[in-house]
Amino acid sequence: MNFDSRKIVIITFIVSIGLLYAFRLFYMQVIDDTWTLRAQEIAEKRKEITPPRGVIFDRNGKKVVSNQTYYNLMMVEADIEKLDTAAFAKLIGWTEQDVKDRFEQIRVGEGTFYNRHTKKRTSNYQKVRAYPFLKELTLEEIAEIAPHLGQFPGFYEEVTSMRKYPYRGGANILGYLAEVNREDIDKEPYYRPGDNMGRAGIERFYEKELRGQKGVKYIVTSALNNALEPFADGKYDTTARQSDPMKLGLDIILQAYGEKLMQNKKGCIVAIEPSSGEILAMVSAPSYDPNLLVGKRNIGINYPKLVMDPNKPLYPRPVASEYPPGSIFKLVQALVALEEGVIDVNTGFPCNKSLVGCHNHAPPSDVMKAVQYSCNPYFYQTTRRIIQQGKKKNTFEDAEIGLSIWAKYMHSFGLGETLGTDITGQRPGRIPDVAYYDKWYGHHQWAFSTIRSNSIGQGEVALSPLQMANLGVIIANKGWFYTPHFVKEIGNSGPLPGFDVKRYSKVESKHFLPVIEGMRRVVNESGGTGRQARMTDVVVCGKTGTVQNPHGKDHSVFLAFAPMDKPKIVIAVFVENAGFGGTWAAPIANLMIEQYLKGKVTDLAKEKRIVEAKLSNIL
Amino acid sequence: MRANDKITQNMDWPLFVCYILLVSMGLMTVYSTAFDPDHPNFFDFSQKYGKQVLWVAVSLFLGLLVFLIDSSIYRKFAVPIYLFTLFLLVVVLFMPAINGAHAWLGFGSFGIQPAEFAKIGTALLLSSYVSNVNMNMQSVKTVVLSNAIILVPMVLVILQPDAGTLIVFTSFLFVLYREGMSYDPIVLKITNLIPGIKFKQTWIGTHFIPILFYVVMLCVITLLVSNNTFNLFFIEGLAVSGIVGVLFSLALIGVLVYLLLGRLASRRQKKQAFIVVLIAFTLSSALAMSVNSLFQGLAPHQKDRIELVLGLNEDQDGADYNRNRAMAAVGSGGTFGKGYTKASLSSVQSNHVPESETDFIFCPFAEEWGFFGSLFLIAVYIFMLLRIILIAERQRSRYYRIYAYSVGMILFYHFAINIGMNIGFAPVIGIPLPFFSYGGSSMMSFSILLFILLKLDSQRRDILY
Repeated sequence: MNFDSRKIVIITFIVSIGLLYAFRLFYMQVIDDTWTLRAQEIAEKRKEITPPRGVIFDRNGKKVVSNQTYYNLMMVEADIEKLDTAAFAKLIGWTEQDVKDRFEQIRVGEGTFYNRHTKKRTSNYQKVRAYPFLKELTLEEIAEIAPHLGQFPGFYEEVTSMRKYPYRGGANILGYLAEVNREDIDKEPYYRPGDNMGRAGIERFYEKELRGQKGVKYIVTSALNNALEPFADGKYDTTARQSDPMKLGLDIILQAYGEKLMQNKKGCIVAIEPSSGEILAMVSAPSYDPNLLVGKRNIGINYPKLVMDPNKPLYPRPVASEYPPGSIFKLVQALVALEEGVIDVNTGFPCNKSLVGCHNHAPPSDVMKAVQYSCNPYFYQTTRRIIQQGKKKNTFEDAEIGLSIWAKYMHSFGLGETLGTDITGQRPGRIPDVAYYDKWYGHHQWAFSTIRSNSIGQGEVALSPLQMANLGVIIANKGWFYTPHFVKEIGNSGPLPGFDVKRYSKVESKHFLPVIEGMRRVVNESGGTGRQARMTDVVVCGKTGTVQNPHGKDHSVFLAFAPMDKPKIVIAVFVENAGFGGTWAAPIANLMIEQYLKGKVTDLAKEKRIVEAKLSNIL
Repeated sequence: MRANDKITQNMDWPLFVCYILLVSMGLMTVYSTAFDPDHPNFFDFSQKYGKQVLWVAVSLFLGLLVFLIDSSIYRKFAVPIYLFTLFLLVVVLFMPAINGAHAWLGFGSFGIQPAEFAKIGTALLLSSYVSNVNMNMQSVKTVVLSNAIILVPMVLVILQPDAGTLIVFTSFLFVLYREGMSYDPIVLKITNLIPGIKFKQTWIGTHFIPILFYVVMLCVITLLVSNNTFNLFFIEGLAVSGIVGVLFSLALIGVLVYLLLGRLASRRQKKQAFIVVLIAFTLSSALAMSVNSLFQGLAPHQKDRIELVLGLNEDQDGADYNRNRAMAAVGSGGTFGKGYTKASLSSVQSNHVPESETDFIFCPFAEEWGFFGSLFLIAVYIFMLLRIILIAERQRSRYYRIYAYSVGMILFYHFAINIGMNIGFAPVIGIPLPFFSYGGSSMMSFSILLFILLKLDSQRRDILY
């Protein structure tokens, strides 16, 4: 028999295998890029170097926020050989179950990766990668562990840095850092799991400036995750750069002093340098020690406590609370009335208590006296003249015109809108306008008599303490202000854009003089309501406020600036449910001004009375 | 008769050029893959490339010897050579295990793998035995003896254990197939026991290579669907397991084939066709069912490997680590490759692809030279294999032809399995790429194998049978 034709079978086998392999290779190498991606995943690694965050100084060069060295205990699963879980757990002071749980947590925490080619989800976790097993260990803690790590291959220590707040103050200004979550990473791929980002305050507002620039090294790695060589000779590498130091306008000593004065009270102090708009202090009481929220472990313990605290220490009251301003609002009413020409400096009104209640005082025969005595009926009548200017016969239509003029003035004082300060959590307050009342009462259904409470800073009008302080700045500057801000400069940048533009109120400079004179008398002359703020050698101008509110005792308010002719500090003090403005807020303002201008306080008895006072509304 | 004045006279140059080409590309790739910056010298004998240069030199020297020695000794001493390689296979079993296998016979710091040389012994004996003038390819004795020649080394090899070489020995079945060997003498003895059946010839016995192919395909399909369930007649709720689906499909095909045959043939042939289809169906079903149950009974790691190749499972960093890394390396080469010495995945230093200088040497080559490089390599191998077939078919001597086919089929197996496992078409079986992979034993044994062929071919006109 001849079997020569069988060679065809064999040749067919050989040729088919050759063609099959050629097509397969064409598919793998030319068409499908799954394998290229997979190869990058395997061998080319980005190694990111996170620089320490920028350091923050106060206006006097004191370090307010610094970095401290901590250690992470890193783990590479591929390098772990026969882990003695019991011994390891004992070394780090955990139970064996804790150790197992932590492994699982790391694995799960890495999330999954969706491969659109294979339509399958795979875990991002890689055995050859390093993951922090324990984070943020102190030098003492790592010193206990590190010497024994030789017995546990696959574990090693790595240096990391965390925030430190040497003055324990300014928590509500500075904010805190916390680990990024999945959402943050999806929003901004800059972050990697385990990175920190600013969660509140300046840390959050200036996140991009403070985080600096991550260094990226592209390296080709071996199966053991050893770096072999820089990728493309380091062409795409960048070096890590810490951000330039940030300089605040804050005076940390004043801030700490303010926090001390406000202990066991609820309220705020906002102090601003009027010539620059730099915020000198911004106390939110009650507050917390910012060091409580440093690091994952601390946050884990303390954050829930702070959130649950009924006194809301995390709430940034000076920017986020909206209070009726009380009598300090009379200052604005006087300014608007003068500018609108509905009164002049010498306009007097009788203290007609049938219009609105008042205390006993000499007749307010001019603007100065009206401010000095804080006469309610005077400002009732002044404001009525602003709202009801008689431009229309119909009272309702007339009130509509009047209120819209008034609202424009208010906005020019930075009221009813957020100021644009460089901090998170600001609220605009409320300047009720035509639309507001139309919605409330109906179109042409309201007139001055409906909204009269606003004339003395009660009713619908609401201001944040920062806006109150800024009002003081406008008065001290006789008509203008810089947007109040915290950051003086970053590195040697000079004032940041937006904070170097003078903003003017719609009230002419000259109209401020009688108001300022009135404020001087409030503090310095008999019959003034703010005598507690008087200083012997510095002329302090101020205005008290006592805000009725449904939550208990009146809020005590004081707005002041000093010295009178060359104002260096404007201060707004707001103490919740404390009573009369002159009793609590004025002495606090007085102590703060003295501390700031002179560097020390002389009236220790007054200081003691304030510090030791514990107001009933603190829970 | 021609005067044998020149040893290279009548040598088949195209085959020799293929050999030189593959050896050079292999050396180059070993150098690039195993490159150690501290030892940049290509001839540094402390390095793998240095050693490989040495092995190539030794192989060429052995090739020269082969050409100098009278080729008739291979035929004369076929039995002693075969027995000697068997002896080595036995001795190696008493050697200490390296990586779990008793595969290495140590000579000082160098070791050889007798399994590589057993192929030569087997090829020589098989050629000389089957080419006997009085050979009756249809006798029981021939079938038993020729299979025994193959089976004995296979048994010894599996004892090492070395699954790769075991599989390579089945390449001799192709050779026997080409020579017209039939298993019918044995198969008929069994089938004719069944009353009412009297075959003169069976497909299984004569066309065993296509049948083997069918068997393998049926096994693969059975395994692919063994974990699935089907809706019979596409009716919801009539779900059956994969094996039932396979049997159902077989029955359907059987009925169709029978109907088709029935239209064309006479009544008597119809009856025969019915029996053939029935037997085919019965055997196929039995095979599918036994494969199915065997598969479920396999050791977990073996089951894993098979599932991974069939794509039933995915485990990139676990059981499928080697294959996944190898495929990533090959695939990432792209159209033009990353450039010589630029393999980022499969260099020995990066170590992502294990054994990248031996069994997985195709990876660095494909990664560095891309699709065009890989295509060229495939083309060279295919050309070489076809050239060997051509050489085999031009022999006057049956002995020479059988030997040439043996060489061709051994190389074909190595090529197909080795490249196949690099591109995800074959499970990870540790066998070298001929003339390419790093390693003395394989380089020397493949070279001897090929040089004997070249020598025999150069004397093809001097021999009559």
